[in-house]
Amino acid sequence: MSESTYEIAIKELEARTEDIRPSDVVLFSEPLRSALNFVIRLGRFSLTEFEEKLEFTRDETKKVADLLVERNLFEVTRFSTAEETYYQSRLSAQTRPLTRPPSDIWKKID
Amino acid sequence: MSKIISVHSFRGGTGKSNTTANISALLAMDGYRVGVVDTDIASPGIHVLFNLDESEMVHSLNDYLWGKCSIEDAAHDVTGLIGGDIKGQIFLIPSSIKAGEIARILREGYDVGLLNDGFRDVVDKLNLDFLLIDTHPGLNEETLLSIAISDALVIILRPDSQDYQGTIVTVDVAKKLDVPKMLMVVNKVPSTFDLADVRTRVEQTYNATVAAVFPHSDEMMTLASSGIFAIQYPDNIMTKALRSLVDQLKA
Repeated sequence: MSESTYEIAIKELEARTEDIRPSDVVLFSEPLRSALNFVIRLGRFSLTEFEEKLEFTRDETKKVADLLVERNLFEVTRFSTAEETYYQSRLSAQTRPLTRPPSDIWKKID
Repeated sequence: MSKIISVHSFRGGTGKSNTTANISALLAMDGYRVGVVDTDIASPGIHVLFNLDESEMVHSLNDYLWGKCSIEDAAHDVTGLIGGDIKGQIFLIPSSIKAGEIARILREGYDVGLLNDGFRDVVDKLNLDFLLIDTHPGLNEETLLSIAISDALVIILRPDSQDYQGTIVTVDVAKKLDVPKMLMVVNKVPSTFDLADVRTRVEQTYNATVAAVFPHSDEMMTLASSGIFAIQYPDNIMTKALRSLVDQLKA
């Protein structure tokens, strides 16, 4: 039996051991890639908005969001309530010489 | 609602900074509050177009990235330095042009995430309508970050085989980052070329909208980055093409 898009998304995020960089986002499968592009551009967003883009269940979306918090792409904001979690996104990359090509960017793009 | 616009080219020397400066001036002439960030840390230069002297640069983007100042502290109001009838305001966040500081940032690097925070903060704190990001040529994490958070991307290329090939990569990445509006600009087109034909060929090659085709301009060459073209030559055909580009960005 083939994996669901949710299972694939979880597997891709669990495979990441470092913070998520911009070049990582382009590699994620759908609908994770599109949903991340959407919320990164928003900057500040709710779990409900993320859920609507992912089209996963609420629990599945929360699990994905929790992994993204662990990978430092999402941060839970102080405006969160018991009913709704609010996040802000922050693309990052560890400090490194600007002149050195980031990771294996060309392989990723190819 | 504020808009973030990245201006990018795969190769250097395409006229990226000139186009960025002209877009910002035309937006400000329309009454908007505009921020311009020079993220070309390795080879900064857009400050020259805004007549911002090195001695007037209290802080730069480098200082912000090193935690020496806030992003708004690095913003210089250049509205009064460029001439013309500017109803809005232009704030420039220059990169340092001190050799030691360029060398240091190339050697030590910086946290790219700070750029992410800085772009958002400066829009909020300076109450900007538009933030223009003048990127470093080619593709790196900083460029991808800029594209990822932008509402619009302007990709500049010349009618040159190397530009054509490299731009394919940029367009491909921009599409994967779902940038909401992607506009191509073909610059420095020789006068012997048919501009309409160039536009058609580029649109077909990249399956993207060509917002403007700029002919090679002797006036631009003569100006030699000593000012902003749209202000110095308001009735020139190139200024009209720039105005068309700005209208498409505003839409």
